[in-house]
Formats: sequence, C-alpha cells, structure tokens
Amino acid sequence: MTKELEHSFVSELEKNQNIVHKVCSLYTNNRDAHNDLFQEITIQLWKAYPKFRGDSKFSTWMYRVALNTAITLYRKSKKRIKTQDYDAVIFKIKTDEYDETQEQQLKLMYKAVKQLNDIEKALVFLYLEDKDYSDIADTLGITEVNARVKMNRIKKKLRTIINP
Amino acid sequence: MMDELELLKKDWQQRGATAPKLTYDEICKMLWKKSSSVVKWIFLISLIEFILPHLLYLVPSLREGTEIYANLGIKNAMLGLTIFQYAIAFYFIYEFYKRYKEISALDNAKNLMFRIIKTRKTVKKYVIISLSVFFFTFIVFAIGVYMTDDISSVMNTENIRDFSEGRLKLIFGTVIIAAGIIITCIMGLIYFLLYGFLLRKLGRNYSELKRLEV
Repeated sequence: MTKELEHSFVSELEKNQNIVHKVCSLYTNNRDAHNDLFQEITIQLWKAYPKFRGDSKFSTWMYRVALNTAITLYRKSKKRIKTQDYDAVIFKIKTDEYDETQEQQLKLMYKAVKQLNDIEKALVFLYLEDKDYSDIADTLGITEVNARVKMNRIKKKLRTIINP
Repeated sequence: MMDELELLKKDWQQRGATAPKLTYDEICKMLWKKSSSVVKWIFLISLIEFILPHLLYLVPSLREGTEIYANLGIKNAMLGLTIFQYAIAFYFIYEFYKRYKEISALDNAKNLMFRIIKTRKTVKKYVIISLSVFFFTFIVFAIGVYMTDDISSVMNTENIRDFSEGRLKLIFGTVIIAAGIIITCIMGLIYFLLYGFLLRKLGRNYSELKRLEV
C-alpha cells in the first residue's frame, strides 16, 4: 500500500516539480538553500499526501503546501553560502529572439521581485502562475478584495524599485 | 510597468524548460529525510519542557531534599505543589496535543500561521505557570526556614555557630529567594529567546497578512 502511494506521489511530483523549483528560486539565494527548501517542501507534500483526495488537481494542492512551507514552516539551514551570481544562473533568461533591452528589463524585474517580502513574493508568484484573485485569496487566507489591493500596491512597489 | 510585469509573466511561464530537473530516484530519497520545519522544532522543544522538570526528581541529591522539607515542616506544602505541577503538566500536554494536531500544511497560509501561534501560546502559558510554581517552591522553602526554631541543626551548619538563629534565617531566606529569582529568570530568558528566534519569520509574515485585512 505504502509502495503504491509512494510511487503515485513521486511520479506526480516528478511531473510537476517545476512548481516547487519556482517557489525555491523565489525564496532562496543559492543552490544549497534551493535544494534544502526543495527537500523540505517534498517532505511536507509527502506528509500531506494521504489527505489529498484528488478533489482538486495535484498541482493546485501543491501550490498551497509549497508556499506554506516556504513562508511558514521552513527554517533556513545553517550551511549557507552567499553566491551573488546565483540569480543569473537560476533566472537564465531565454527569449526566442535575442533582445538586449528586453533581457535587461527582465533581469531588473527578477531582481526587484527578489527584494519583496515573503507575503508579497507569494502574491507575485501566484499572479505569475496565472492564478485568479479568488485562488490567490484562498491560498493566503485573505479576502479577494484585499488580494487585489495588495497586488496593486506590489506593482507600485516594483515600479519604485526599478525606477528609484 | 504593466507591460514589464506581463513580459515577466510570459518569461516566467516559459522558464519551465530551463529549471533543474530531479529524477524519480532523487525525489524518492528525499521522502524519508528528516523535516526541519518549525512545527517539528516546537514539538521537540515543548517535549523537553514537559519532561525536563520531572527528570530533575531523579537526581539523588535533589531527592535528599525531602528530608530537609520534613524538618522544615513544609513536606505537605511541597507535596501539594508537586501534585499541582503534575496536574498542570498533564492538562497542558493534552491541550498542546489537541492544537498540534490541528496544524496542517493544507490550510491556507493565514490559518496555518494562526494555529502554530496558538500552539505556541499553549506552551507559553505552561512555561509561565511552571516557572511561577517553581519560584513559589523557593518562597515556601524560605517560609519554612523562617518558621523553624532550630535552623542551624536542620541545615547542618554546626561549623558556623557564631551566627545567631535570626541572622542565619535571614541569610538562608535571602539566599533562597535570590537563587529562586535568578534561576527562574534564566530559565524564562532561555525559553523566550529560543521561541523568539524560532518564530521570528513566522511572526513577521503573520502580522503582514493581518495588516492586509485592516
């Protein structure tokens, strides 16, 4: 029984691991921390998996557990190396046609997003993942109106970070 | 700005292909690794808080104290305090377990944080009551010293006979109360620093979410 459960869980996670990697890249600054957070999210997902009844999509359920782990449950590990160029590695920008201004713009945007606080990052993350405001509100436990208001404030904040 | 955010969104969604990819086996190995979540830490620290004071009774030199209690005439008071200590410990273990069970990573972020904070508050109450009882033990001890007529023989102080009974009582009483204050404060400080450090991030994020609701 456990073997079956394990197999279905790992296969699903393997397919959807992108979501977890994106959360990790948003909340950590180097590869060690990224892997550490990935592992913690995996453990939390696995612990919660028996309660996942399949009434929502596996990926939907993953967003919630992954963000909860990053914002609330995760304790940073002690072994941390500060690597400045990590951003460049993880946020390797790939555009179809090479466009220098666009790439520059994107780099600035990613840098600005990384400067937001944990809650703001969660909102931006769900927004970038194309979640609607009722989903965002539901995941964070706030009202839809407040989610919209906050998102507008974040957009303003990002603007000031980019154009100080 | 809107354009930039839309550009970011497009790029973000395309980024899937460039993200690192773990294999089935690599993920499998992770399942059985130890979690380092705050909830686990709260659980472990609380467990130590519940068990440690009761383990102290196993130390032989502390058990000898019972004889002194009897001589000071505070045996019953001390017994009462011990029973009270156990009663509150069991009550709080039950409360703690109930709240701990309610914590679920499937909850929304705000509820999850709220439940963790609630669980921590249970431990906090326990620690405050425990420390009070602990300090009260010292007071009872001091009162016992004050009420005893032949303090020098009870406390084995034949070699400092030069002091008068009154003086001895005063010295013992002061030392006991001072020790009580110092030990209680140190224990309290360790506890609050530990939790403050452990839940700093959680507290910050919770107040940020709560601020959104105003």
